[in-house]
Amino acid sequence: MDYELPTEFDIIIIGTGVIESIISAAASRIGKRVLHIDSNNYYGGLWASFNLDAIQKLATVEETLNEGLGNTFFNVKNFEIEWHIPSETPPESTEWSRQSLLKESRRFNLDLAPKLQFARGDFVELLISSNIARYSEYRSVSRVLTWLNGQLETVPCSRSDVFANNKVTVIEKRMLMKLFLALDSGEEDYHNYENKTFRAFLTDKKLTPNLIHYVLYAIAMCTDDTPCLQGIKNTKRFLDSLGRFGKTPFLFSMYGSGEITQAFCRLSAVFGGIYALNQPLKGLILNGDNFEGITCGTQEIKAGVLVMGAEKAPPHFIKQHPKSSIARAILITDKSIMESEKEHLTLLLYPPEGGKNSCVVLELGCLTGTCPKDLFVVHLISRQVEGPQNDFKHIIGNLFGPEKANILWSCYFSIPDSNDLDLTVETPKNVTLCPGPDLDLDYDDAVRKAKAMFTDIFPDCEFLPRAPDPEEIIIEGETSDQDNVELKAESAKTEE
Amino acid sequence: MAKTYDYLFKLLLIGDSGVGKTCVLFRFSEDAFNTTFISTIGIDFKIRTIDLDGKKIKLQIWDTAGQERFRTITTAYYRGAMGIMLVYDITNEKSFENIKNWIRNIEENASADVEKMLLGNKCELEEKRQVSKERGEQLAIEYGIKFIETSAKASIRVEEAFFTLARDIKAKMEKKLEASNPPKGGHQLKATEPQRKPTNWLSRCTLL
Repeated sequence: MDYELPTEFDIIIIGTGVIESIISAAASRIGKRVLHIDSNNYYGGLWASFNLDAIQKLATVEETLNEGLGNTFFNVKNFEIEWHIPSETPPESTEWSRQSLLKESRRFNLDLAPKLQFARGDFVELLISSNIARYSEYRSVSRVLTWLNGQLETVPCSRSDVFANNKVTVIEKRMLMKLFLALDSGEEDYHNYENKTFRAFLTDKKLTPNLIHYVLYAIAMCTDDTPCLQGIKNTKRFLDSLGRFGKTPFLFSMYGSGEITQAFCRLSAVFGGIYALNQPLKGLILNGDNFEGITCGTQEIKAGVLVMGAEKAPPHFIKQHPKSSIARAILITDKSIMESEKEHLTLLLYPPEGGKNSCVVLELGCLTGTCPKDLFVVHLISRQVEGPQNDFKHIIGNLFGPEKANILWSCYFSIPDSNDLDLTVETPKNVTLCPGPDLDLDYDDAVRKAKAMFTDIFPDCEFLPRAPDPEEIIIEGETSDQDNVELKAESAKTEE
Repeated sequence: MAKTYDYLFKLLLIGDSGVGKTCVLFRFSEDAFNTTFISTIGIDFKIRTIDLDGKKIKLQIWDTAGQERFRTITTAYYRGAMGIMLVYDITNEKSFENIKNWIRNIEENASADVEKMLLGNKCELEEKRQVSKERGEQLAIEYGIKFIETSAKASIRVEEAFFTLARDIKAKMEKKLEASNPPKGGHQLKATEPQRKPTNWLSRCTLL
């Protein structure tokens, strides 16, 4: 280490997951002295992206525990990696081999927790209002698919989709439009449906089975048991986000979802947050029910507040252990699940089937910056029932194989879900634990949690006000060697 | 609104803490110098538009935001970068030795064809020099990149350095443009995107 860390901060944040990083950015932004530290040598924790080489290595260190701080309750589990191609092929061969794929390792950005963003969701609004949007780029999801009657079907979610969809009859199109208009106008009366399911509501609307499938499983992302009001809310959310950035309501961050945490960390650093990864975190300094600091290597670092990822907490802070897990699979394939002239960024909402939960399938091509040309990365995400291999068997059987896309490499794992646990029970009052990835498609809930935690720690402080653009920063005394530098953010519009 | 430039280049500054990256940036973008920067708080990137062979080139130059101090530059920092200034301090041997580590970091995270250049900064401090000009030149030859000694404080060759890097990127880009059209990247999210028209799509569909 070239430099020693400073030893006094207002707040120490351990772990670089999404919620920790948002809090870090928000605290730095209002001038708090922030130390943001991680025992990993990469950003993102359970929300990170890895190249092909790195994710393979991750599988082998899964159960190791940092000396001192951390617990194993939230570790990624059931890691299984399998190659479906030979380790080498003859030099003249154009087939992929393990060797040729690993040569492209760096072009892969494989997310532990892939996410999409609703174009008009809280997360996107926060990115724009805080000016953090400038640290990352996005691509819009170009089609939404579902699995219906034994095949893939495009979900009509834009006007052109509706016209292009020859599986939807003219009468069905009218039904669908009527429903959307009614939901959008807010005039519809739902009070008879408070105790009924969304499926019951759609059935009462006399929608055809196909339309019920589209609306229930794809647009509203519900199950057969989802209460009506929740289904209505979900549908509205989908419709609200249409027509802003692309043909569908969804955006994907280029180079993988792992970049998201880094965007918030960058803002935190720009406003003075100190970053240190790969740190030997030994333990916490506690005085009764009060957190006073951390021990990092041989240094003692003090702060009034600690925020940490749940997986970094000492085991005795965790009263409740995870009850459920997120089943995950990452596949590298040689073709799209539904081939087309142009490269698509595909979201497939696979309905519940035979006791298995519904599944989000995300297919990313090279234009997303997550894989090399001519290959695709496919993510599967579901609430775990038996285990990732068994939970996805039927889907993988239906989507891949001879005559279809081939799987070159597969990786299965489970992420324990810490979002339905009460993480406040056993922690000192000035310590906040952040949950890891949830099953949501998007980050909106993570933003809400981060904001609530921030407001709890710093009441009456503004949450991520707009950061000035570089040209708005005026440096005073810039030609003098003696004067202190003073950064002054002018209000946004004074010059115009 | 008409574009006020022909090309936009994203450039990065990389190198150890205290080698003068932010000073180089300010010398180039504002023609100013200040020795009292403790770190680079608040500095995200600076912009300067230059003329090169009749083309207006907007240089967006990013600073490390202090994340180099404990080797915690984000992978996101490198995305889309077309040129990188590797900066060391000629009065600091360690900062020169670390250039190799920074190059490894760039190789791991930046695009393979990113244009690189080596800067030996603080060349006005001849009496404190620890790294000879020859060693700088030698290292640059080893990596096949250009090398220049600069002084942000005395305003020596900083302009020349950025113009050289920009010219090399432009040449590479124009060569590439001739060969093929590169794929488009992602979109930046801006509040100025089309405003919401709640019933637009739906109302048009009532034609059905």
